[in-house]
Amino acid sequence: MSAVAPSQSASQGERLYWLMMLLPCAFLALLYVVPVLNVLVMSVTVPKPGLANYAELANNGAVQRTLWTTLRIGAITTGLVLLIGYAVAYALVHSGPRERQILLGIVVASFWISALIRAFAWIALLQSRGIVNSALMATGLIDSPLSLVRNELGVVIGMVHYMLPYAILPLYTNLRGIDDRLVPAARALGATPSQAFRWVFLPLSLPGLIGAGVIVMIFSLGFYITPAILGGGRIIMVAEFISVQISETLRWGLAAMLATVLLGAVLMLVTWLSRFMDVEQALRK
Amino acid sequence: MGRGTESKVVKDSLVLDGIEKRYGDFVALQRTELSIKAGEFITLLGPSGSGKTTILMSIAGFANPSAGRILLDGRDVTGLPPERRNFGVVFQGYALFPHLSVYDNVAFPLRARGITGAAARTLIMAALEIAKLDTFAHRYPRQLSGGQQQRVALARSLVFSPELLLLDEPLSALDRALRKEFQTEFRSIHREVGTTFIYVTHDQEEALTMSDRIVILDKGRILQIAPPAELYERPATTFVAGFLGKSNFLRGTVAAVADGRARLDLAGFSTCALDNGTGAQAGARAVAALRPEKVRLALPRDAGGTGPGRVTGTVAGVTYLGASVEVELRLADGQILLATVPAGQLPLADGAEYVASWAEDAAILVREEAAP
Amino acid sequence: MSAPGSSPARGVTLPRLVAWLAAAFLLLPLLVVIPISLTPERYLSLPTDSISFRHYGSLVSDGRWTKSILDSLIVGIGATVLATALGTAFAVGAWRLGVPLARRLRLLLLAPIIVPPIVHAIAFYRAWATLGLLDSYLGLILIHAMKGLPFVVLTVAGVLANLDPRLEQAARSLGADARQAMSWVVFPQIRAGIAAGAVFAFITSWDETIVALFVTSRAVTTLPRRIWEGLADNIDPAIAALGTVMILLTFVAVTITTLRGGKANA
Repeated sequence: MSAVAPSQSASQGERLYWLMMLLPCAFLALLYVVPVLNVLVMSVTVPKPGLANYAELANNGAVQRTLWTTLRIGAITTGLVLLIGYAVAYALVHSGPRERQILLGIVVASFWISALIRAFAWIALLQSRGIVNSALMATGLIDSPLSLVRNELGVVIGMVHYMLPYAILPLYTNLRGIDDRLVPAARALGATPSQAFRWVFLPLSLPGLIGAGVIVMIFSLGFYITPAILGGGRIIMVAEFISVQISETLRWGLAAMLATVLLGAVLMLVTWLSRFMDVEQALRK
Repeated sequence: MGRGTESKVVKDSLVLDGIEKRYGDFVALQRTELSIKAGEFITLLGPSGSGKTTILMSIAGFANPSAGRILLDGRDVTGLPPERRNFGVVFQGYALFPHLSVYDNVAFPLRARGITGAAARTLIMAALEIAKLDTFAHRYPRQLSGGQQQRVALARSLVFSPELLLLDEPLSALDRALRKEFQTEFRSIHREVGTTFIYVTHDQEEALTMSDRIVILDKGRILQIAPPAELYERPATTFVAGFLGKSNFLRGTVAAVADGRARLDLAGFSTCALDNGTGAQAGARAVAALRPEKVRLALPRDAGGTGPGRVTGTVAGVTYLGASVEVELRLADGQILLATVPAGQLPLADGAEYVASWAEDAAILVREEAAP
Repeated sequence: MSAPGSSPARGVTLPRLVAWLAAAFLLLPLLVVIPISLTPERYLSLPTDSISFRHYGSLVSDGRWTKSILDSLIVGIGATVLATALGTAFAVGAWRLGVPLARRLRLLLLAPIIVPPIVHAIAFYRAWATLGLLDSYLGLILIHAMKGLPFVVLTVAGVLANLDPRLEQAARSLGADARQAMSWVVFPQIRAGIAAGAVFAFITSWDETIVALFVTSRAVTTLPRRIWEGLADNIDPAIAALGTVMILLTFVAVTITTLRGGKANA
């Protein structure tokens, strides 16, 4: 009823608004979309036109290993992050205001610490002469240092650490939106606490879990800094592999093909995600 | 604020000349003609989607009519942007500026007109006084109650002596007691400032108590324009009769028409009805509206005589309303006739037989609304 | 266990235990960075006998660190100004027009946060070589502005979506023209959102590593690039000093916003 369209009387004002809206889009289209599209095109034109670069997916063992590593680490990270993140979000929803404020503060603050600083800290903690190994050896629990970093374990620890806030915050928003009378209602109808959780609370939080899982997966697939530093050149995920093709072996065609595949996978996940939740909401920090 | 009540010249201050509003295929407002007199308190009354807000927003300049003109004192203002119209608008939910104090909210229209300093201060203090807000000048909107916010919105729209004041459901967020209070207050402020008030509401009580004239709308068109009493006594259509208060609708065949009166034959009884210009002709179908409070009930042994405006039925339901009771009387053909009678005077057991009767001028012919 | 209907579960439950362990896990590396920054040694170690602020000193005295801090500030501020101006312009224009096209264009503007950074890093590397923008302030400012743009659009559009459109109508009905209504009513209402967007844009630029590694080398060396290089060869404890400063700034900012948010909600 009150949704009456705004006046179109001030047409010169209207032109200004169009300009305001379209100028940033033109800026991005020209300087962002065109360069990215250029990479996609290069995947079928460099070094020579054709699908030779894509054939590497079937023939090149290094490419296959990299993709497999990326998927495996992405899946492990996503699984761990969801498990821990769900528990944290659940605790946040069910804690008192003081406890919630402290926990949320820690989550949000760690969100903002740069990936580089965190990777640095993990190296300091986990390397063979690092803090964890020194402490364990000093207490006599181990004789020789454990290998905790520059391997898959180190990469997963670093990635879970980086991704946890990305999962906790949307999960918390989702769980907080669940009517808190529903579980008591289920209990009043005869469900045990575990039944009430499994039959009522968990199904209602499924969209949040899927959303958080997709976000973590999207970021994990393209992740560069943490795996590059904590993997120490032994664990190579696709982003680092692409980087090496450009800066060391100068194989632009192969790099462009892998970038296209990576972008394709991410866009598919985003499209799928948009069926469950508002993507914009999910990307907001 | 210069115009006193006695100097009210009866002239049309605002004319809607065939305005119309379409959104694609959807017609929000059909071609509308409306003349509003200077200094008048006119209410646009209708359910949601009736087009009343479209009219208001067109007058204010926030919606461009798809066709037609809006004339102010003969001047075409249709294409004028809202800020050049000099109309005050009290919005639904008030739309107070949350970052400005009460004083600065009221100062806003003066600032936009380049009025500052002592001249502005005098006007602002006067407006705050009229709205009984002098002690709240330095508070912020969120620190005020709903009623106080309403007063700020009013003061803000009156401080610059607008040509018209447009009010869009201003009381819808307030509780019943405050609504009553503001109905009285709007009337007295209207008398005091003499500005034309155009008031939009879906509440029939607000419309009836405050307005000089009511414009009743439904589905994007005006059904009737009349002073409150006339609208109630002589509704033009079944919708008007049903929207303002309750009404029985007696559908029958016209037996005779003469001198603005008709006789209507129904199943087993007949009634007289005033003809308010429906153009009914003998032999045609017609419908008469009959207010429940005009129906008298009597036990069969007490009811003498025969003739029109008299029918027998049995009590099918009773609703207690306090001073009165509403009785559902089932007639011979199964139809229900509503009668509102003083409480406690008749034994109204279910199934009891009663004779209902009404005066010759109690019923009035109305136009049948097309099915929605 | 709690009775049915009692809401916050008191006592130690599994989720609470996990939550605090996770919080400790999140804090652990941050807590390690601080003592490392105080080591008197030149290599990565925990201080044993004494503490020293020499690594903080080198942040302001070592020419390579000061240049990087300055470069990061130049690029960050340039990118923030550009991203905030363009993002706000878009959000306000789209809000005011309310056309369906606006929604689709918004998805375009979100691209820089959806596309994996390595993909646009090689895209920029290629395009900037053609345009002659490699290793230039302008080149990196343009890129960081595009990466910050979505955050400005999201925050400003978020605030605008909650803004009562009747406020603007009210201003117009009270005699303000379109520009006055914008600067007197709409802008003051969205100022906080613009500021938040600007902060996001600045942090995005301040942290951006991957593209900087590709498109810059000597002329422009932002902090992340310098840290990256430091991690590659021998690890400099000055990184810990820098990290400590950044962590403290972050905690101060989060604490302030949490307290302010808490007050506003109360």
